[in-house]
Amino acid sequence: MTHANERVFLWRRFTLREGLLLGFCATFIILTRAGLRLHLHLPGHVMFFTMFFYVLARGCVPKIGATTLVGLIVSLASILLGMGTKGPMVFVKFVLPAVLVDLAGIIYPAFVTGMLACAIVGAVASAVRSVSDIGLEWLSGMEEEIILRKTVISALMFALYGGLGSLAVPSIVRRLRKNGLIDQGTGEER
Amino acid sequence: MLRTSDYACQYMTHDSPVHRLGVGWKIAISTVLSALAVGARTPGELLALVLVTLAYYFAARLTPFDLWRDTRFFVFQALLVTGLYCLIHGVAGGLWPGIRTSVQIILFYIPGAVLIRTTRTGDMMRGLRKVVPYRLSFLVFVSIRFVPFFLRELDEIMAAQRLRGARLLPRQLMNPRNWGDLFHCLLLPLMVRALKTATDVSLSAEAREFGTRKERTFFDGSRHAETASEALNSQQPPSPVVLQPCCHGSAAKKKGIS
Repeated sequence: MTHANERVFLWRRFTLREGLLLGFCATFIILTRAGLRLHLHLPGHVMFFTMFFYVLARGCVPKIGATTLVGLIVSLASILLGMGTKGPMVFVKFVLPAVLVDLAGIIYPAFVTGMLACAIVGAVASAVRSVSDIGLEWLSGMEEEIILRKTVISALMFALYGGLGSLAVPSIVRRLRKNGLIDQGTGEER
Repeated sequence: MLRTSDYACQYMTHDSPVHRLGVGWKIAISTVLSALAVGARTPGELLALVLVTLAYYFAARLTPFDLWRDTRFFVFQALLVTGLYCLIHGVAGGLWPGIRTSVQIILFYIPGAVLIRTTRTGDMMRGLRKVVPYRLSFLVFVSIRFVPFFLRELDEIMAAQRLRGARLLPRQLMNPRNWGDLFHCLLLPLMVRALKTATDVSLSAEAREFGTRKERTFFDGSRHAETASEALNSQQPPSPVVLQPCCHGSAAKKKGIS
């Protein structure tokens, strides 16, 4: 919740408290990515918690650019912590799905409280991540048909996990709102 | 095969020629090698590039096990790409293009892994500060600084919820029916904790007038102590904060700004 006496800290829209909260969402994504990388080796599974925290960040700070900020912080922190195996492509793979969640928030601000809407947004935003490899593959001389098939396979896997992760958000947002911990979601966009 | 790193792209402390190179040089070498990986087409070019890239990797005193850690992520991709090529063109026609493309992709990422493995986080941060606005870099560093804090919180919440009967053991979480416990007994309390911590940290920073100026400022504790002791002597309340605008190098040292 934004208090009346809070100063705007970043991008003319986020207070320091909101910025920190979004930073903590990025921390949780890093923690879950680090945890999963040690235990599971299923392709696409990282999107489960990534998308959960992206959509939850949008629910906690219902402002345009909130998820993009989380994506940007995760990208920079991943590079600093040595988790950016894909080099500069880390920005594309984290920021692109985040921008899509923000776009969904502009089109339908109340999507964080609907399970179906959350699942669709989560699945679509996760699937978009698979395009991050296309540029390199095309430059490497890979055939377009192979690129397309590979992208479809990885998009399906990302979408499956991203959609599942986003499904849990509405109930958590409702409980946080009921206890007055976050904005009540009046649909007001800033 | 020597086991050294715990995870892919972990920073390794060694005294190697690559470690001693500046960050700028490492970025330049990585860019050149990655660009060459994209452009290589013939078996001869690819073989030469594999040798050069491996020489660069092992010059950093990294082991074959480290190389496996860094590249195993791409093994699934390589299998998929080669499989798709073989499916479309047959094994005879699709094997070489599949292997070539997979090797190119792996070669593209190895120099980046060397950069991360041989550069300290502090050096990376110093480089980052030059290109990222300070308010954004503040949030990045706070999110990194709070990783151990939230890891501890996560452990404590997990232990408490397990005592209450929540099914949070790794083998229990393999069953999707227990995922409700994961979200409602672990991630919800963690989020509440994050909200409270964000409020506390922002109040604490704003009480020190953090973010009041456009440029970066430093809290000068020594001057605050002086004003506090002066106020104590004259029975006046001390001024709440003493801020100094950003000063670099010797000027900052002269002024005693940390």
